[in-house]
Amino acid sequence: MADHSSHDPLAGIPFDLVPPSGAYGAAGEASVTVSTVETPFIALVVARNGFAASVAGRLGRAFGLEIADRAGAAMGAASTVVGTGPGRFLVLSKTEPDLAGTLRALLGAEAAITEQDDAFVTFDLAGDKVPDLLAKGALIDLDPRVFLPGHAATTVIAHVGVTLWRVHESGWRLLVARSYEASFTRFLVASGAEFGLRLENGTAGRG
Amino acid sequence: MRIPCPYCGERDAHEFAYLGDATVTRPDPAAADAAQAFHDYVYLRDNPAGAHQEWWYHANGCRQWLRVARDTRTHAIAAATSARVSGEPA
Repeated sequence: MADHSSHDPLAGIPFDLVPPSGAYGAAGEASVTVSTVETPFIALVVARNGFAASVAGRLGRAFGLEIADRAGAAMGAASTVVGTGPGRFLVLSKTEPDLAGTLRALLGAEAAITEQDDAFVTFDLAGDKVPDLLAKGALIDLDPRVFLPGHAATTVIAHVGVTLWRVHESGWRLLVARSYEASFTRFLVASGAEFGLRLENGTAGRG
Repeated sequence: MRIPCPYCGERDAHEFAYLGDATVTRPDPAAADAAQAFHDYVYLRDNPAGAHQEWWYHANGCRQWLRVARDTRTHAIAAATSARVSGEPA
């Protein structure tokens, strides 16, 4: 009988630790690159009843982005605003250390702000095979002809809650609750191995 | 079964939690027959074969409550609307 364990890209890696950086699966040029990026400042904005349009407008003017109250990602050089529900916006910034405070000053009584800096781990997925990888765990249609750059979705992938958006033609960004990092990274490695996957992360070994 | 969420689009039923009959109305607790009315409200349900109004909660999506019109025989969904209308008092 064939020894299947030799084909397991995760063989020998403790299931509760983040797999180490490196190449997994098919040899040759990796078709999928997975990296965990530090998006240091994240806050959730929930518009109070009746203020969704006003909040979207204020956020758009403040960050120089086109923001509507829908499931989409508005991306700028320093900040991204993702719609996760009616009147709910996840704001990500590279440059605002006190993002929640800035948003409170901006939105006043129109919204409730919650700091989420440490809530998520951010996965950057690059490569043309990313939709094929994600299709193994997703319940939604991520076909590149359907899920276009700027589209966003809050859903489950591999039974794990995910907010994802397509950054550009061959780049996708996923926010996953931080405590799922090891488990979700294993899903990515196992599902991307057939295409050849390169994992680059600075948090290997974390449980 | 897929539910057409007004915010997220069509989503698999696994993303939702079923919260039951959307046709019952909470009775007035101050009414004289409140005990009986609450018993009926909490425990008694019709089991229609056909069109039904139901609450579904989009737990793994936009986290909103939906009112879904579903045919219990075919699972065909005629409509799904947000339970809360923005701007209305909560």
